[in-house]
Amino acid sequence: MTDSYCGYDGNREDALIACLYDDGAETPERAAFDAHLATCGRCRDELASLRGVRAQLARWSPPEPAFARQLSNASPSPIRLSKSSDRAQSATSWRRAPAWAQVAAALLFLGVSAAIANFDVRYDANGLRVRTGWMQPEATPAASAAAPAARPASAAAAAPWQADLAALERQIRSELRDVRTTAAAAAQRPTASDADLLRRVRALVDDSERRQQGELALRLAEALRDISAQRQADLVKIDRTLGVVQNNLGVEVMKDRQRLNLLYRASQRQ
Amino acid sequence: MPWTDEELVARSIGGDADSFNELVLRWERPIYALAYRTIGREEDARDVCQETFLRAFRALPGFRGQAKFSSWLYRIALNLCRDWVRRERRTPVVQPPEDIDLIELAAAAEPSESIEDLVARKDLSRLVERAMALLPEEQRTAIVLKEYHGLTFQEISELVGCPLSTVKTRLYQGLTVLRRELAKNHKAQL
Repeated sequence: MTDSYCGYDGNREDALIACLYDDGAETPERAAFDAHLATCGRCRDELASLRGVRAQLARWSPPEPAFARQLSNASPSPIRLSKSSDRAQSATSWRRAPAWAQVAAALLFLGVSAAIANFDVRYDANGLRVRTGWMQPEATPAASAAAPAARPASAAAAAPWQADLAALERQIRSELRDVRTTAAAAAQRPTASDADLLRRVRALVDDSERRQQGELALRLAEALRDISAQRQADLVKIDRTLGVVQNNLGVEVMKDRQRLNLLYRASQRQ
Repeated sequence: MPWTDEELVARSIGGDADSFNELVLRWERPIYALAYRTIGREEDARDVCQETFLRAFRALPGFRGQAKFSSWLYRIALNLCRDWVRRERRTPVVQPPEDIDLIELAAAAEPSESIEDLVARKDLSRLVERAMALLPEEQRTAIVLKEYHGLTFQEISELVGCPLSTVKTRLYQGLTVLRRELAKNHKAQL
């Protein structure tokens, strides 16, 4: 049972704090308080609970800082964020950009990329054709038929390596055509490896969903705890405010009563 | 043998930028932790930390070694924190760090620690943060300097510019409020 009375005649708060942090001071006050502690349950209990608070405080660690600083002789400013930190910062600001800005930037990027890559999309009677790279457009059948006829005429005047070049071009084109045909055929019929791939993708998606569900549950639990704590804090605030209002009201009522009493007494005398 | 702070300061004043870099590396975490625990916002704490070292670098030629380098840095950081609190005109609100990823956190956890333990540990840490945010600035600063930076009562008294007995009183009052708040939160969680 804790004694509610403490007979320490010095500065109790100072003595408790000095004892709590054990500042090592060998003063008469400290010796007196140590002697007092042996007989005072209240001080002992308070010291123990303050030690408990210190133990809880020890569990508070700030989040890891995301900086790595470098000092450069050439830099006018002594502290410069490193590249990784810059990247982290720009990534953060990118995440904070509004969605419309991100979409606009993505479209701009795609447009510029398409322009650089000589991106060519055609939709005609032959269907949709997409072509990239710096190659000349594929000749139409009519043009390709006319081309061999025109070539011999100019071939005589051209250098001898041009024939080799033309042969090489034809070979590359035929190989490219073969590759396209094979790719198209492969795309049309699902193979065993596709099924495997699908299974793996499904497994990955399932795994990801499970992880997300777990994460969501944890976040929900955290949010609920936060809300509960906030609610408690709000209730305490409201309670305190109400207490203050009640106090003020009580004082006002008391004053009014005093005034009424005075008036009553004055009217009695008259 | 590593250089002492005072030796590094002398070399920095002599124009050796690497020495100042060494001082930054040595003190950036304590200064960041001090700023974070005082103002409670991760990004602002980083800014305060960076500004502290910028100011220290600029004022280095005027540093005569009357106080320890660390005390001098703490004073700059505390002044910046005080400016921040006044400028923002608000009580420090402790916020959870941005982009909390529990999966990443779990990876950083102790091998024997489950995700529930990890969340519980974070919860307790957050409760302490919230309770600390309720304290007046002077009490919070006294507790942070004593509890997390191990300064003596005398050093705190010199840093914040108040008598030694006031430091003890602030500590006592702050700890008493924390005890009450933490007990209340503990009951609320049960």
